[in-house]
Amino acid sequence: MTLLRVEDLKKVYADGTAALNGIDLTVEAGEFIVVIGPSGAGKSTLLRCLNRMVQPTSGKVLFQGTDTTGVSKRKLREIRRSMGMIFQGFNLVERLSVLANVLHGRLGYMSAWRGALGLFAKPDVEEATRLLQRVGLGEQLHKRADELSGGQQQRVGIARALAQKPQLILADEPIASLDPASSEIVMNSLYTFCKEDGIACLCNLHQVDVAKKYATRIIGIYKGTKVFDGTPEQLTDEMIDYIYNQHNDKASDQSEADGRLARALKKETA
Amino acid sequence: MMKAEQLLRERRGKRNQLIVFLAFLAALTVWSAIGTNFTPGALWGGIGDGAGFLFVDLMPPDTAELPGLIGPALDTIYMSFVAMVIGALVASVLSIFAAATTSPHPVFQVGMRAFSAMLRNVPVIIWTILLVASFGLGKLVGTLSLIIVSIGMLVRCFAESLEEIDLGQVEALRSVGASYWQVITQAVLPQFLPSLIGWALFNLEVNVRASTIVGMVGGGGLGFTIQSGLKLFQYKEVSMAVLLVLAIVLATEFLTNRIRERII
Ligand SMILES: Nc1ncnc2c1ncn2[C@@H]1O[C@H](COP(=O)(O)OP(=O)(O)O)[C@@H](O)[C@H]1O
Ligand SMILES: [Mg+2]
Repeated sequence: MTLLRVEDLKKVYADGTAALNGIDLTVEAGEFIVVIGPSGAGKSTLLRCLNRMVQPTSGKVLFQGTDTTGVSKRKLREIRRSMGMIFQGFNLVERLSVLANVLHGRLGYMSAWRGALGLFAKPDVEEATRLLQRVGLGEQLHKRADELSGGQQQRVGIARALAQKPQLILADEPIASLDPASSEIVMNSLYTFCKEDGIACLCNLHQVDVAKKYATRIIGIYKGTKVFDGTPEQLTDEMIDYIYNQHNDKASDQSEADGRLARALKKETA
Repeated sequence: MMKAEQLLRERRGKRNQLIVFLAFLAALTVWSAIGTNFTPGALWGGIGDGAGFLFVDLMPPDTAELPGLIGPALDTIYMSFVAMVIGALVASVLSIFAAATTSPHPVFQVGMRAFSAMLRNVPVIIWTILLVASFGLGKLVGTLSLIIVSIGMLVRCFAESLEEIDLGQVEALRSVGASYWQVITQAVLPQFLPSLIGWALFNLEVNVRASTIVGMVGGGGLGFTIQSGLKLFQYKEVSMAVLLVLAIVLATEFLTNRIRERII
């Protein structure tokens, strides 16, 4: 069965920015899909419309057959807990322990007050400990999250997502803030765990080589429109060029104008 | 080119504005000096009288009165401390509604800001006078007035700290399916706690100072002793009480600074 079906998804932000102009896509169980596109193309917006961190303007997001765009608060919590999310900035609660951060992945399953008081059940704590061992951080359980390196923090982020027992993981540029060595470890972990646990993944990336290495399918977005959807082999160099290298003449005009302005201001103060 | 010229014009405009503002400030100063009959001579004369009162009538402080002042001094400390604890507890809940980042709805935000502004902008002395009228003299009234202004001040300070938290951490918890209060306690509170403690300690200092004023209009503690002493011309006792106030204020500042260093 199709895990996720997106139909004619549009998003116009309050300031009038049209970030998505009608996106259609499907995700089957177990797929590892990489979304590529230049910065500002709408990749982050797309991911956030799926778990409704951003409210879509129109269109449908069918997750396991349920349209998520209009569901109640209660149902939305259930949908969100079935989709893990991984962030470019890791977004760990820095002053809490590594273990507490992974346990946060269980909040969607807990009663409101037990979760609010942080009364995690013993099986949850055991599972979180196992997950941290699995991502190679079994020794760091009780460290404060901000004491870890970037790469380690992102692995905690992955463990938090896995703790949700999700069907789908949404990863928004998970390696954009990391050095090459950590990037490799993080991408390998993400890919392996998704594969082992049968979790589908939608991963925003801007490195095409990394995309080609891991993706079972690649989706290209340009200015809020899907311009490519195919296998890594089908993503030709011309296609990459088409997605990325659309030169914007206005931009060079602007920088020239700024230069003139700077010179004029200098004269004024001299 | 158009844009550059516009900016140059704006700059010249700003300079003219500054000149007008300074001229206005000078005029205002002269006008208020005339309005209040202020002259450097009057200031000089006042200093003479004040010094006489300070060095002849008030000196030396009567240390024999010290045992009798311990009770009121402890009252001053209790009042300030209780007002800080209750004020911080109430304000930490109210400020969640007042901060843009945590408020469940903008309506709460506006309402809570207005409410706390009212508590804070009515001077503590007025609150005490109002409360004395309904509850009579005493520590209870002093404590209540301090609680009121503590809430007013802390809601504002807390809300400002809450608006500076890292929203990425909030986003992460919302994305796992956490409920509103789960996000507040698990993502907001850990970030907010250091500034909560910092502001509460600052509030304690403010309360200790304000408690003297509160006491003088009937709110108990050392302020009340000072006021009664002045009425009975017991100036040596008054100066002893003033010294005690000073000691308490300095001790509080010293202690709160030490605690602050520890947590931050
Ligand atoms: N909260 C927002 N309000 C207004 N515009 C936004 C907001 N978030 C993103 N945008 C705009 O929407 C477009 C798509 O942004 P985004 O989804 O972040 O792209 P990407 O992740 O591909 O870089 C950009 O033009 C961006 O400026
Ligand atoms: Mg982005």
